[in-house]
Amino acid sequence: MTDTPRTPSQGTPPQWTPVALSRDLAPATAIPVIAEGTELALWRGRSGRLAAWHDRCPHRGMRLSQGFVRDDMLSCLYHGWRYDLEGQCRKIPAHPELEPNKAICVPAWSVTEATGIIWVSETGSGAPPDTGALAPLRSLTVERSEDALRDHLGDGVVIEFDGLHLLLQGLPQGRCVLHALTGPGLDAAGQRAASHRLEALRTRFEDSEDIA
Amino acid sequence: MKLYDWVLSPDCYKARLLAALTGQSLTTVATDVFPGKDHLTPAFRDMNPRATLPVLVAGDLVLTEVPAILIYLGGDWGGDNATERARQAEWLTFSQRLAGTLGLARRIDMMDAPGDLAQAQRDGTRLLRQLEARLFDRQTLGHAFLTGPAPTLADIACFPDVMLAPDGGVSLAPYAAIRAWSRAIRSLPGFIEMPGIPRLHELSPEPGA
Ligand code: FES
Repeated sequence: MTDTPRTPSQGTPPQWTPVALSRDLAPATAIPVIAEGTELALWRGRSGRLAAWHDRCPHRGMRLSQGFVRDDMLSCLYHGWRYDLEGQCRKIPAHPELEPNKAICVPAWSVTEATGIIWVSETGSGAPPDTGALAPLRSLTVERSEDALRDHLGDGVVIEFDGLHLLLQGLPQGRCVLHALTGPGLDAAGQRAASHRLEALRTRFEDSEDIA
Repeated sequence: MKLYDWVLSPDCYKARLLAALTGQSLTTVATDVFPGKDHLTPAFRDMNPRATLPVLVAGDLVLTEVPAILIYLGGDWGGDNATERARQAEWLTFSQRLAGTLGLARRIDMMDAPGDLAQAQRDGTRLLRQLEARLFDRQTLGHAFLTGPAPTLADIACFPDVMLAPDGGVSLAPYAAIRAWSRAIRSLPGFIEMPGIPRLHELSPEPGA
């Protein structure tokens, strides 16, 4: 873990992409996320451990993010093929007596969780940026591209704007997720006020002629 | 009580779900709207000139508007004072807007209904954002439901059209608070499913275990 936020130099893709706030991924749930244009199934086992995989079941390619979690196994919704946290297929319900072939394995990304933020990386090298004592608030999607927003907001990993600290997660088709953090120790009313500021910020970005 | 019911209608599901959660039994009369057009028969129109589903019949009382049906079935489930009722009424109205946007997008996409799909999706997305913001506010107070510490008509009225939004081409992936709310509703004792709105698989016994 690095001590200070790293600023990726212009042109190099970030090693780690923030894809969700910890508070928004409960134990034993799976959600779809997108990092660097790749669709991933991000899920958390009952034990709290995380995995991030290509969002395609090796069986027939259905979305694993629609699957369900029991203990530390993810079951595909469609025909119930079941995978452990390493991505290894462990059970095929149509052939319960069969030990699944070791080759049936879902391609995985590295995933790590620090100070309430979940990050993924294809290569897994290095550590994700440290957001220190900042408190995760909520994530919200803006109908503007990451590039357009960065032209306006600047290039850092954590961008301070309007009293909020923003992590950007670019999505395809000109959209971007803002993961908003605040200073530590906000009470409930303060959190609601910050959330309303974030909503206003989105409206401003989407209404602006300069951010297209 | 008799409910004229169509299994693929989110409006009918609201009535069935509320009845199930409050432990009331309904006699359902299956009515095939699409492609069967059962609701356009003279007998059906005689009962409901608007020719819409659901229709709730309880003795002499014939209800054809969804908020009225939910108010009737709900009794004082989820609160009985004026403030609480008014709060729920706000969301009943909101739920009608969801039906006219997200619900419309689904009807256009899946059932060849007339209308502007892109417009319905945009309008529906605006409502999802409002719901998400509201549910985040509720989370800061430690509450999972829309108007109180427990579910009310507000939640049941809004839930189906939101859950079926993907059928109309509107993704729910951006909405973390809505996801948590959906899990809270689907975890309620007595919860029933409809096509497109599954129960929580992890709560049911493992197949073949
Ligand atoms: S597609 Fe996943 S089990 Fe068949």
